[in-house]
Amino acid sequence: MNKGRVLAVFITAATVALIAIGTLWPGKTALQYSGGKNLLRTSSTPQAAVENLGDEIRLRAWGAAYSSLGNKAEFSQSDFVHDLTGYYLSLRTYATLESFEVRPLHASSDQAEVRLRMHWSSVVGPFTTTRDLQVVKNGDRWNVDWPLVRKTVVPPQVIPENYLRWDVIYRGPGDDWGVQDVEAPHVRIVDMHPVQRAEGVVVLGELLNEDVVPAYVSVRATLQSKSGSPISTEGSFDKISHILLPKQVTPFFVNFPNATLSDVGSIRMEPLSGLVSASAGPVIVIENQQLNPAPGATVTGQLVNQSGQVVNIAHILETLYDKTGQVVWVADQYTDHALLPLTPIPFDIHIPEDLARKVSSERTIVETYSVGGVH
Amino acid sequence: MVLASLSLASAQDSRMSLPTTVGAGSAFSIHSTGSGKAVLYIVGPGQALRRDVQLGESTYFPVGSLYNAGHYLVILVAGSSTDNGWVDVVPANTPANLSFLAKPSRLPIGLHNGISGTVYIFDVYHNLITKPTPVSFKLSNPSGSAQQRAVTAHEGVATTEMDSSEKEGFAKFEAQVDGISSTRVVEQVPGSPCGLTMIARPSGKGIQLATNPVRDCSGNAVPDGTIITFTESYDGAQSTADVPLKHGVAQVEIPAHPGATITVASGVVLGNEIHWQK
Amino acid sequence: MTIKATLVLFSILVAPGALLAAQAVVHVQPPDLHGPRQLQDQTATAVVRDYLESWQSLTAALEKNRVDLLDQDFVGTAKDKLTDTMRQQAALGIHTRYQDRAHDIRIVFYAPDGLSVQLIDNVVYDERVVDNKKVLTTQRAHVRYTVVLTPAETRWRVRIFQADPE
Repeated sequence: MNKGRVLAVFITAATVALIAIGTLWPGKTALQYSGGKNLLRTSSTPQAAVENLGDEIRLRAWGAAYSSLGNKAEFSQSDFVHDLTGYYLSLRTYATLESFEVRPLHASSDQAEVRLRMHWSSVVGPFTTTRDLQVVKNGDRWNVDWPLVRKTVVPPQVIPENYLRWDVIYRGPGDDWGVQDVEAPHVRIVDMHPVQRAEGVVVLGELLNEDVVPAYVSVRATLQSKSGSPISTEGSFDKISHILLPKQVTPFFVNFPNATLSDVGSIRMEPLSGLVSASAGPVIVIENQQLNPAPGATVTGQLVNQSGQVVNIAHILETLYDKTGQVVWVADQYTDHALLPLTPIPFDIHIPEDLARKVSSERTIVETYSVGGVH
Repeated sequence: MVLASLSLASAQDSRMSLPTTVGAGSAFSIHSTGSGKAVLYIVGPGQALRRDVQLGESTYFPVGSLYNAGHYLVILVAGSSTDNGWVDVVPANTPANLSFLAKPSRLPIGLHNGISGTVYIFDVYHNLITKPTPVSFKLSNPSGSAQQRAVTAHEGVATTEMDSSEKEGFAKFEAQVDGISSTRVVEQVPGSPCGLTMIARPSGKGIQLATNPVRDCSGNAVPDGTIITFTESYDGAQSTADVPLKHGVAQVEIPAHPGATITVASGVVLGNEIHWQK
Repeated sequence: MTIKATLVLFSILVAPGALLAAQAVVHVQPPDLHGPRQLQDQTATAVVRDYLESWQSLTAALEKNRVDLLDQDFVGTAKDKLTDTMRQQAALGIHTRYQDRAHDIRIVFYAPDGLSVQLIDNVVYDERVVDNKKVLTTQRAHVRYTVVLTPAETRWRVRIFQADPE
């Protein structure tokens, strides 16, 4: 009984002490989420000014961030916000700034250049944007001049579109035995290749829609031991174009974490397909696509949307082949900008360093998502 | 049905007089001997009936009383005594419903035995008619040609296989049994592009690429929406575009690079190659 | 499919379930197909296993007059007819128990599209009829069943279930 009382008194005292510590010396994150003004340092150095701006962007305190800018007279707060979150609906619109890095490039007594690398998180993973900022001394404070990227204006024009669209009327939930149904699209795996990576086994390949209708596709792979018993089953999820138009080919990437290729006797592949409503447009041309060798191997290029419709999100899938034409890796990237008509958007996809030497050629496809037009 | 049934023998010695078989949905009677009131049950997985009866009289079951084919236990309960017997309900002779499964609903042209049709034959009460029954299958192509097969159904089912035609279009696939028919539509679609070719012409600072009308090896137009891939390779770089067919051709404008090699493909089918010198 | 292989399989897979019920003796004959498509051993095994399990569902459903017990194993016409029977039984206040004692099964048709399998089962079962908790009779029947099964997501389901005179 006495022990219980002692414990209760101890817990109460510890709680009171921790509350007091938290109130007097709050953590940085707690301050941010409580909207505490004490978070911000005085902008007494160029680095502090950029750090303050970064914190305000992270908190989406747009008014404070805009007010702190030295060149705010050159644009409106709305322009500033849209420069960061996108003028059109895109991945940026719903992304949150997870963290940022500030790196001074050079400085004088009244002017400095500072690099701000912003690490965003979005529904399809992280992406990073970089801005080189001019920071100007104003009295005893430093202010950031924001290098605003203005909204791209597409010249007024009429772009005729008459791409085919497929709509599917699905059968109801009732029993349809002996009643006609519509055939699922016929798809075929045209290449498959397992690869051992440090993190496990990856099954790579390509899938072709052989049919005359669009298909919603996926690939399921089962690793089987040498005795034929199943080890693990996984499906392709992100590095695949799930909607395939007739005769279109997508890469696929099935990841088996912690698996070892030497334990695998065979692999059972199941291409899955279903009917899906789809449009044959827009056409995206991939221009100036280039394989840049190691170190820092990448595939770079530009996407050009040849239609009149804004593409809000583009998913770029890169299939990398060795000199025998076998798939050695699949890489992907989402554009954080919307693709405006006839406006090139660059992309830069990283290739794993150890595979870069094997890569001899590449093929790029782009899966697009659109919700509206130019306005 | 009844391979051996001890209960049927006992029924014959009992106070009931039962028909051995009854046509599905047909009227029938069960006669009993003795006097007084009793309860008559007819029970099987297909149906369950109960009637209050007067012993010594016939109990009449009108048309449509017992209609699901099956093996039924008949029980007559009079006071503490019980009599049993069996009755078989057999499907009606006349087909009334067909379950016709034609697969696939869409397939490439020129496939031998690519289309299958399976028909199950039922009477008006959805009992499977298991006696041998002639079935005719007919696949009518849009060109007017037709394939026909005569098949005898065994155990209520008949099946056949047909070839898809060399011409694209919707074919009518019909199964017919004793004046009852069921029709399905089978779409025969063109095969992969064959002899894929493109032409290139200058267009401002770019190149306008366009395929010639894309056809399969039988001369059918490949459907619009089919993806054609153009690839331009130059100086270690390339430009590519996946373009859907529109009105039978695919076209796109790409940047011009002197010395570039331009190729065209659709799926795994390769087309011609152009070396751009301008 | 060999008879031996099938019998061995059913002594492993089916017998435990059957033991719980009443140890039905199962004999599977080699397929005698009258269609163009050949039947894989694996498919035949799955069809027979699912069909035998359907008897357990049927027994439980008709004994308790519970339609939901049919959901796993029956579909289409077979389910509709059994459902109607249960409603009739419930309205009359009767219950029936169909306890299978022996099966002699032969697969006779496999559709070219793979979407139906037909089998013939010479089955022996005991039928017990109960009216308001009073057992009226228990009788043994020897019946030839024509059964059509169609594939669902994870198993074969009975679509046609019909006793026929030979």
